[in-house]
Amino acid sequence: MKTINVTINGEAYEENVPERMLLVDFIRDHVGLTGTHVGCTYEGVCGACTVHLDNEAVKSCLMLAVQADGHEITTVEGLARDGLTPLQAAFRDKHALQCGYCTPGILMNMSEFLEKYPAPSDEEIRAALIGNLCRCTGYVHIVKAVRTAIETTKG
Amino acid sequence: MLPAKIEQYIRPSSPSEAIAAMQAAEEGEAIFLAGGQSVMQAIKARMMQPSCIIDLQDLADLKGIDANDGLTIGAMTRYVEIAEADNVPAAFGALQDAAQHVGDRQVRNRGTIGGSCCWNYVASCMPAVCLGLGATMKLIDAQGATRDVPAEEFFIAPLETARDEFEILMSLHWPTVEHDTGSAYKKWGLVKDALPVVGVCISLAVDSLGTCISASVSLSGLEDGAQLAPAASEALVGQVVDEKSILAAMNAAADAASVQGDAAADTEYRKQLIRTLGVDVGLLALARAQGQGER
Repeated sequence: MKTINVTINGEAYEENVPERMLLVDFIRDHVGLTGTHVGCTYEGVCGACTVHLDNEAVKSCLMLAVQADGHEITTVEGLARDGLTPLQAAFRDKHALQCGYCTPGILMNMSEFLEKYPAPSDEEIRAALIGNLCRCTGYVHIVKAVRTAIETTKG
Repeated sequence: MLPAKIEQYIRPSSPSEAIAAMQAAEEGEAIFLAGGQSVMQAIKARMMQPSCIIDLQDLADLKGIDANDGLTIGAMTRYVEIAEADNVPAAFGALQDAAQHVGDRQVRNRGTIGGSCCWNYVASCMPAVCLGLGATMKLIDAQGATRDVPAEEFFIAPLETARDEFEILMSLHWPTVEHDTGSAYKKWGLVKDALPVVGVCISLAVDSLGTCISASVSLSGLEDGAQLAPAASEALVGQVVDEKSILAAMNAAADAASVQGDAAADTEYRKQLIRTLGVDVGLLALARAQGQGER
């Protein structure tokens, strides 16, 4: 067991964790933030477990919790502060989800992507979504929602 | 799956501390972890069951891109940093081609060039590009002594490199190029940005008439892992570089290589990919050598 200090959504946690515990399991089972999902039995392919590590999108099943010691994490629960973000609202308005299982990971990936690239083309949005599998929507509405969020943010 | 039991997690702050931790561990029980985007997969699948993880994330000297004297890239530099760097000369464009299309954004935010080279997975982009561009790999040992190993000697076989277990890869280096030089890399996979079924890297130096002064061609995705294609390089030197001469060179590469057939692509299809990708890549490398071409 090892003691780690991690900040999640602005809140500091000091926890004792087994060395082999994955970051996603720490977030879900230890901290109780179950918005971060496991979609592919920890194979690193579905992207549903995407969180921000020091403001960058990473897959939390491809990391041990101990590796996050001293770092700052944001999960999907940390996005909406004063109501939904423009990206979240656009996902709702444009029907960018059906079952919703993949949505937290896509929101975490796209929110960082749009911070970095505020004016991407549709092709760039699609390329940025490679690490997130959605088996419901066919991605058309997801791309539309991201596009809508860009326009809403531009004001 | 989930990792087998891990007894110890160490996060050293210097290479010597990291190597000391490796020496203190029982033989075969410890592993260095860079970005972990491949190694964590192997640990979760229990292909590897290390009882000690030595995490290199705090080794600050192993991070960064320096283009002041040739090009030096720290081993712990992440794909995203290479992909987005604005100081990489056209001669090394292939590095950015490869870095921009490894896996997905999330993987590129953590995966490192040094981790990829030391893992040397059978189908991966960075080892082939580092071979094709003739990188010099700088290794450091427990005493702090360094040795430079040419990429050609570093990459031995899939999952095998010249790095001793008590050494750490510090950086990759290339000297300043003397002639108009450009390079490019492209791969074909089953889905976009997937592991290469075949990838081709070409580096070219040309004179003012477009005649090839030197060339280096390398391949990824083949059963023997990252490899040079000397037959193609030799076929290009002395020729005016154009579609025809590149195709002839790639024919030579496809004929000379040991090309497997599997569920992803049969032998003939892979050979055709070598030719088709090779022409695209060669023309882009030429354009970059001549100061044109998108980056």
